[in-house]
This record gives sequence, C-alpha cells and structure tokens, in this order.
Amino acid sequence: MCAILGNEHEYNGLLPLTANRPLSTLYFDCKYRIMDFALSSAVNANIRTVYMILNEGRFKSVFDHLGGGREWGLDSIGSYQYLGFYQDILRKKAEGKPYFSDMIGFLKKSKSEYTVFFGNKMLCNVDLRSILDVHQASDSKITVVFKRVPKEKIAPDDCILTLEDDNRVKQTDIFSELDETADLYNLSMSIFLVKTDWLIDLLHKGQNAGVPASVQELLNREMTRTNTRAYEYTGYLSNIYDIKSYYDANMDMLDPEHFNTLLFSSQRVITRTKNEVATHFYDSSDVNSSQFATGCVIKGKVDRSLISRRTTIEEGARVKDSVIMSNAQIRRGAKLQYAILDKNVEVEAGVTIQGTPENPVVITKDSHIVADIYGGEN
Amino acid sequence: MKNEMLAMILAGGKGTRLGKLTQNIAKPAVPFGGRYRIIDFTLSNCVNSGIKNIGVVTQYQPLILNNHIGNGASWGLDRLDSGVTILQPYSNNEGSKWFEGTSHAIYQNIDYIDSMDPEYLLVLSGDHIYKMDYEDMLAKHTKSNAALSVAVIDVPWDEASRFGIMNTDENDRIIEFEEKPEKPKSNHASMGIYIFTWTRLRDVLLNSFKKDVDMYDFGKNVIPFYIKSGDNVQAYHFSGYWKDVGTIDSLWTTNMEFIDNEGDLNVRDKTWPIYSKNPIAPPQFITNTARVKNSMIVDGCFISGRIEHSILAANVQVKEGSVVKDSVVMTGASIGKNVIINRAIIGENAIIGDGAVIDGTDEIAVVGNSEVLGVTINEG
Repeated sequence: MCAILGNEHEYNGLLPLTANRPLSTLYFDCKYRIMDFALSSAVNANIRTVYMILNEGRFKSVFDHLGGGREWGLDSIGSYQYLGFYQDILRKKAEGKPYFSDMIGFLKKSKSEYTVFFGNKMLCNVDLRSILDVHQASDSKITVVFKRVPKEKIAPDDCILTLEDDNRVKQTDIFSELDETADLYNLSMSIFLVKTDWLIDLLHKGQNAGVPASVQELLNREMTRTNTRAYEYTGYLSNIYDIKSYYDANMDMLDPEHFNTLLFSSQRVITRTKNEVATHFYDSSDVNSSQFATGCVIKGKVDRSLISRRTTIEEGARVKDSVIMSNAQIRRGAKLQYAILDKNVEVEAGVTIQGTPENPVVITKDSHIVADIYGGEN
Repeated sequence: MKNEMLAMILAGGKGTRLGKLTQNIAKPAVPFGGRYRIIDFTLSNCVNSGIKNIGVVTQYQPLILNNHIGNGASWGLDRLDSGVTILQPYSNNEGSKWFEGTSHAIYQNIDYIDSMDPEYLLVLSGDHIYKMDYEDMLAKHTKSNAALSVAVIDVPWDEASRFGIMNTDENDRIIEFEEKPEKPKSNHASMGIYIFTWTRLRDVLLNSFKKDVDMYDFGKNVIPFYIKSGDNVQAYHFSGYWKDVGTIDSLWTTNMEFIDNEGDLNVRDKTWPIYSKNPIAPPQFITNTARVKNSMIVDGCFISGRIEHSILAANVQVKEGSVVKDSVVMTGASIGKNVIINRAIIGENAIIGDGAVIDGTDEIAVVGNSEVLGVTINEG
C-alpha cells in the first residue's frame, strides 16, 4: 500500500492557528501534530511510501516536524516521500495542462497495489489492515471510512453518507444542505482505500475531463458513481475545523478513556522525538487533571490543562482549562483560563487571559502579552 | 583521512556494587535522572566536544546498552563523517579476546583504532555523571607536548585515600601515581579520563603484550610505566560537577541531588545538551487524585498517587492511594494501589502489587529490573 495525505482544504475558523501552518501540523495533546495520526496509521500498516499535498507557503512546519522521517521509519532504503503543492495543481489545471501528472507519477513509482487517501482534519487511529481486508473481500472500487456522530461534531461542508443495508453508499450530501435532522449522521472521515491502478485511471481520465483538482473532492464525487462500500470506525474521532472543535479535541484527552483509546491502542502513534530533560515540578507547584510534555519547569498551579514541551510556569501563576503549546513562559501571578497559547508565547507577571469554553482566547505564536485579555464575547 | 582524536568508552564493567540493578544490564546502561542512562553524559560530552568518532567497548550484559546506542542517531553520530562503533570481544586464530582490564580492552581493539587512524586517543569510562569539554583537555595536552594527560579533580582530603591520587610538580606534570594511598600526598584524584598520543600508547601496548609484561590496567600498569619511562604525563584539572554512581547509595544520592540542585549540572543548558535515546510516548497524565511535589517526571507516566521528591522515568504508572517519596522509579515500572515507597530505587519494568510497603529508611531499598513484588495471585 501507499498513502496520499491531502491537505488541500483549510478552514478559516481555525485562524489564527493555521495562519502559517497547514491544518495537518496543528499541535495536539502536548506533543503530537494532527498529521501524526494519519502517518502512524499508514506506517503501522507497513506503508513506506507517502505523498503529501500541501498549500504553498505553509510547509515549513511540515519539514520541521518530519525531518528525514526517521521516527516513522520512512528514512530507510525503499522509502520515499513526495510533496506536491495544491496551488501547483490548480495552476496547471487553469493552464489546461495535465494537473495530476505528478501524483500519477508517484503512484506508478510506488508499485503498490492499493492506495489510501487521508484528509487532514479527522483525528483518529484507524487500523488500515483491517480496512484492507474488508476492501479485498468486497467487489467495491472504493472503501470509505465513516463514523456515526451527532451534529455538533460536523462541519457545514462535511460529507454525509446514506447507506444501503449492506453498507453500500447510496447517496452523499453536504451536511449544510441536508433537510432532515437525525440523532446521528454517517460522517465520511475522508479516508478512502482504492486500487492504485483504478486511481491512476481515475486521475488520468479526470484531468482530461476537468474534474476537481482536489483529490478529496474527486473521491467524494466518485462515491456515488462507483461501487463504494463504507467501513464503520468505532474508535475515538475528533473532527477539527474551528477553534472550538480544536480546543474540545485537546480537552478530550483529559478523559482517561479517550486518552487510552486514542493513544494506547494496539496502533502506535508516532511523533517526532525531542531531546528534553524531565519535567520538574517544584515544591510550590500544584497540578491536577493535566498533561505535560517533557522539558517543563512547573512552579505554579495547573488545573485541567495541556502543557507542551519546555514551558515554564512561575510561582503564583495559575493555568486552568487551557492548551499551552511549546516553549511558553507564564510569569509570576499570571492567570489563564480557557486560553490557547500558540508556540513561544510569553505572558507577563500578573496578566490575566480569560476566555470561555465556547470561545477560548487564542494567543498567536511568538506573542508577548503585557496586558489583560478578556475574550469570548463575540 | 587522519582523525584528530578518537574516543574509546570502556563500557564493559559489571558494576557489582549496584547489586540487582546490574543483574542484566551493564553499569553504563543504568538509568539516571528519569531520562538518561549513565553513558549518555559521556557520549554527549564527546559530541559537544566536537569528537566525531567513538568506539564503545562492551562486554558484560551488552544487550540493553547496544540497543540504546544503536547507530548513534540520538547523539547525531549517524552522519557521513561521524559514527559510533560498538566493540565486543571476539575470537580469532590466537584464541578468544575477552577484555581482562582497561588497557587490555584497548589493546584488543588496536585494529579498530588503527582503522580510524587517530592522532590522539581519548579513553573514557562511561560511568560518571558530569559535563566536560574534552577539546579543552586536548588543547592542553598538545600545548604541553604530553604523551599522556590524566584528568584530575580535587577531592576532600579525608576521601583522598579512596582514589587513585596523582602527585604533580608545579607545572602540573605528574611525577607519582598512588592507587588508594593510606597517607595521600595530594588530593588530585584521577577521573579515569585519559588522552594518549596514540603512536606512543600503541608501541607501549604492543611491546608489553609481546613480552608478557603486565600491562592490563591503565591505573595499575600503564600510568606507572609512563612515569617510570620518563614520558611527559600531565594533569588536567577539572573543577565542575562530577559524580561516581557506582554504588546504590551514590546512585540514589546523585539522583536526589539532581532534583534539589538541578543547577549544579545545569542539564537545561542548551549550549551543552545531554542527549539520550528518547522513547515515543504520550504526554504524562497527572490525574485529579494525584499530588506531585518536588519531583521530575517524563513522558508516558500515568500518575494517580502522591509523588514527593522523586524521579519517575518514562511509562511509570502510580495508582490511587500510593505514596512515592524520596525514590527513583525507572522506566516502565508499575505501582499498584495504596503502595508506600520510601527511599527506594525501583528497577525497570518492576511490578509492585497493591498495598505493598517498600521502606528504605535504614538502607536504600532496591527492587530489581522486572522484579514482581507483593502481587498475590488469586488461585481461588
């Protein structure tokens, strides 16, 4: 098998967190990036060839994170990764050129019988081998992975599946265009498993016929045109498309059940390793229901929060219900609640940052906060 | 291409005084500080000193040590112009080549050293906790035209008789070496760190072993031989933090100091990082029943009990109602409910059953690697 990680679609609702990084490299639970989950699923299924579609100007964090791919075992002989830019595909399409030629080249070179496509925003831990088993046992051209979820977990532009009794896909709809309401919807997780030859053929014919330049859109469209079967995923899923869903997904990890099912399943989740000292909890620290990566120095109070690498929380500071990305400096007496701090933020002594559960305050990367911020009114 | 300085880390020691903790691993592989194995300090010092090639001589229980070092990628030693080579005893037409002493281990690896073609040979022991710039030591070695430089540290006079003591003249030339002298004449203790000009050491070793002259040990044989032969033997004075962790007591004390006086070793200093092989593990989870004070904890831990003044390595689990105080818990250990652990070292992957009490008030308690304690198997 080979894999395509598509990061074509971005959500404005995630700004400013995605201003300079693709959705797939958003930080998650102190030390992961969202792409780790798709990449780990791929590697756990013995996939050694990966193609990534990125947006121009937002790839620095991808290189920074993946490096040579050592942690994922993608640096040994016989492994290669490819990067393609979505804008490049769009440009070629506008110029009337064969816009999928790079991707077709990758697929041919991979010499793999099957290809799996991952979208960028579904945080889950799927076992591709069992999906492959199901796919091989059926006569379908496409196997799509879905989960039954309530409406709160769905973005307006998500694809909802209507299924036959035998899990064949009968109809697909954009969520915002659905008329009737239900308790649970069959949310497509934008994970597709297909035969590589079939995909090459689809891309080849498609680029002559002017199909959408987004592979995800193309496959969504194809589900009702080709024999497609749905595979139900029963594990933990977070659908990340705005600040609230991003915040909630992180906070979910403070529930031991979610934490254990996502991160301690039989499927290992791999991320970049960093060389760090143990996190030091001083005598003045007071921590409760929280998670920490290594390299932190904790002297203040931390409650229901996720603290990433190399964060310092000084005496008298209080961090509650917050997501702190790496290298934050929280000075003496600062108070944070319902806040998301991007990397390298410094909060001055005595400053208060207060959001609400529905609208957490987002502090952008490299900010130096010297005055109180109250948010969440919008 | 000629290499300026090759480092050889003698990591074959059994570490008998660490008892259970070295039953199945070599002493340099014993965990330290929640994040490291002892050898990481020496390896990181090498890398930070700009040394590109390192031979690690292993012998006793090398499995975990070899696995830890791997291809050296964790220390950036997997690059084109650098590398770490694990050297184990082997046999050939002349018989088997077990290492029977520190200098004998170097002699047995002459082929490897020759293949690296170094100008200088740095000999290290891999069982101390310290930070040191070997490049600076080399600069002094070459400047003084020494055949051998020995790193020394001044120890308290009342402890000097436990060490190999170097008596120097006013120019730091070593004129006499005394192993554990009853009445020490100086307090310059050898740190077991040597820089040799390789051509000279090579001749000394080859000649001696050919003629069956006893030249098995650096301290006992080689250094005295150099001094007697009139070679220029220099002392290199070191004054930073340096701890031998060769006993249960010193291993425990040094770990406790690591919590209290992190600054002495300054491990968070980005200009001299201490590297280690890092496990891939989820963040540590401090639950709502946990209480953590004065402690150092790393990834993968799941803490529901009380942790006071302790070090917890990766993937340690402490269940509700348990208290871990003044202790070191190594990777993967699992501690049940309502356990009391006081002044103890808990080995890697040990399992402590519910309600167990491990009290090291009188003497530091040790639970061995993978040891199972206080788990009752219900046969009913």
